Amino acid sequence: MVWNQNASLVRPQNLYLVVCISFVFGVSSAFPDLSDKFCTFKVTFRNFRLILSWELKNHSVVPDRYTLRYTVISRPDQVKIVEHCSNTTASSCDLTDVWEVLPETYSIRVDGFRGNTTLVQCSSYLFLVTHMSLEPPEFDIVGFTDHINVLVKFPPVIPKILGGGVLKFYLSLIIEEQSGNIVKKHNPELNENITGNFTYVIDKLLPNTNYCVSVYFKPRNLGAVHRSPVKCILLQPGQETESSESAKIGGIITMFVIAAVIVITIIILKRVGYICLRNHFPKVLNFYNFSTWVFPEMPPLETVAFVEVIHVNRKKKVWDYNYDDESDSNDDTATPQTNAGGYTMHGLVGRLLGPASASSATPEDCMEPDAEEPDPSEPDTDIDTEPLVPSGPSPGQSEGTSGAYECRGKQLQDPITEEDSWSTGGSGDKITFNVNLSSVFMRVLDDDLEVPPGLPSFPEETYNLQESHRLETSSLAANGEGTQPLFPTPSAECQWPEDVLSDESDSSESDVDIGDGYIMR
Amino acid sequence: MTSRCILQTTLLLYFSTMALAMSNDLLRSQLSSSSLECQELLLQLNGTTEYCLKDRINFEIPEEIEKSRQFQKEDIILITHEMFQKIFDIFRRNISRTGWNETTVENLLVKLHWQKEHLEIILEDVKEKENFTWDNRTLLHLKKYYLRIVQYLKAKEYSICAWTIVQAEICRNFFFLNILTDYLQN
Repeated sequence: MVWNQNASLVRPQNLYLVVCISFVFGVSSAFPDLSDKFCTFKVTFRNFRLILSWELKNHSVVPDRYTLRYTVISRPDQVKIVEHCSNTTASSCDLTDVWEVLPETYSIRVDGFRGNTTLVQCSSYLFLVTHMSLEPPEFDIVGFTDHINVLVKFPPVIPKILGGGVLKFYLSLIIEEQSGNIVKKHNPELNENITGNFTYVIDKLLPNTNYCVSVYFKPRNLGAVHRSPVKCILLQPGQETESSESAKIGGIITMFVIAAVIVITIIILKRVGYICLRNHFPKVLNFYNFSTWVFPEMPPLETVAFVEVIHVNRKKKVWDYNYDDESDSNDDTATPQTNAGGYTMHGLVGRLLGPASASSATPEDCMEPDAEEPDPSEPDTDIDTEPLVPSGPSPGQSEGTSGAYECRGKQLQDPITEEDSWSTGGSGDKITFNVNLSSVFMRVLDDDLEVPPGLPSFPEETYNLQESHRLETSSLAANGEGTQPLFPTPSAECQWPEDVLSDESDSSESDVDIGDGYIMR
Repeated sequence: MTSRCILQTTLLLYFSTMALAMSNDLLRSQLSSSSLECQELLLQLNGTTEYCLKDRINFEIPEEIEKSRQFQKEDIILITHEMFQKIFDIFRRNISRTGWNETTVENLLVKLHWQKEHLEIILEDVKEKENFTWDNRTLLHLKKYYLRIVQYLKAKEYSICAWTIVQAEICRNFFFLNILTDYLQN
């Protein structure tokens, strides 16, 4: 009874163990790796033949013949025996003409016999698309100077399993070309009705170079790739001139094409408005006057004459802001000095007026031709401006005309400082400079005269304001910096009343003889 | 001004054509990649045993799908969307008796859902086009096909053999899906 009780206790445990083991074996038999507890299956696509092979795990058990059976899962078909693989001694079977559908799950079973005894039964299932191993096709290569012909061996009739558009979809033929470390892959498109051998040309190769070629199928399901053994060949050396010339021509043409494409693209984008190019270069990139930079123009030759200018030192007068006529006329008009040569000299105008000094000029001031003594008591803070005027009012000379000179003289300031001390006839304080003859009065020196050379004087005849403008540009200006126009343009702030002007001057001629040997230009 | 408008229009057409071509290739490669990944996940699940041969059934996949007939691009998108949708609905059902790895099933569902959503977006743009007639006949055949699969599972009470048979059938589906997506390249 005790044994019976123990047996009753043991039996559920044993049953449970058996169930578990059976469950494990049942599950393990369904693994998709074609691995049976007794056998391992393998499907290979070799030379366009579908080969199913198996291998027993227990090598101690060696059947002398095998029988293969199969069926499909997608239809409730009967299990079929492969006739040419029945009682076969080989552990493989060619199923090229048996299995005709690639996207199918096949259930297979192999029975191993020895005599009349079944030693082993192996079964499995496989989804052919993912479990078929694609081995590379056979091929040959023929080398030439600059290309290689690759001959891939295809069967005269494509297997049915690759028909119906499956070949083009499922198989991708890859031809690898290797030279040194450079590997190039070629993917020729396979025709649906391909029959016989397939020739592919690898061109644009370098002569006298060693190339190695390999061929394989690339499966669609990205499975393992099996490459063929590499075949290498040394290309024949070709004529270098032809290849080099063609290479050069090709390179030049390629460069031109690339440049043209780039330029056209930029032009199109610029016209469309996607890019904006600068039209105005910075000044530093302005090379229009580049020749001027390299070869600076020589100054035009001009006739020059040496002229001595004798400065007259005048005391500076401080304007006390007194608009009194007598005081202004006395202050602004310089006392003409008589030198040993009989010329009446006044201080020369050296520079243009500033705003302050310009505002001080009034028409009334312009009307006063009289000179006045400078006030020695007044500090000489302002620069005296004295025009060159005749020694005295000449007959027929209007006051306004001479006053015009004086007024313009007021508008300009003598840049000579009061520190400068000049003697009227001294030779120690002389300045020598070049003068443009077209802007000065010229006088032919006479031996009888004791006039210092280059000392002009103004004409005694009257003339209108417009003509005086020409005189202004031709007058001497004495300063240490060179020649300057003596008078400004008529647009100065001093506006002349028209009745002051005289029309008696001869303004039609360009050269006016102003008497005393001077010619006005 | 006119020449500028012509230039802009020409550039727009050129780049639009390029973009469309690139989008077709991108969609094709994406669909192909998705179907291959789903197929790999499906094969990781435990499959049939010899004892399930009695539960086999012919679900009669539509002939136009099996024979890989060429469709228009819009029809391809519609068909692939329907297939991803139905396969997703099938594997959301009761798989408790299969003993399959739940993580693998979950990954499969995620990929199916993502691809389905992506195709819905493209499909909405396609439906806005005028003067386009859908291939409703093929779509109807597909709906009936997947209904047969669901009815089979219900009839077999979602047994492991039933799921094994359905697993093998869906593997075929993904193969035909890959062939269909190849037509997008042309």
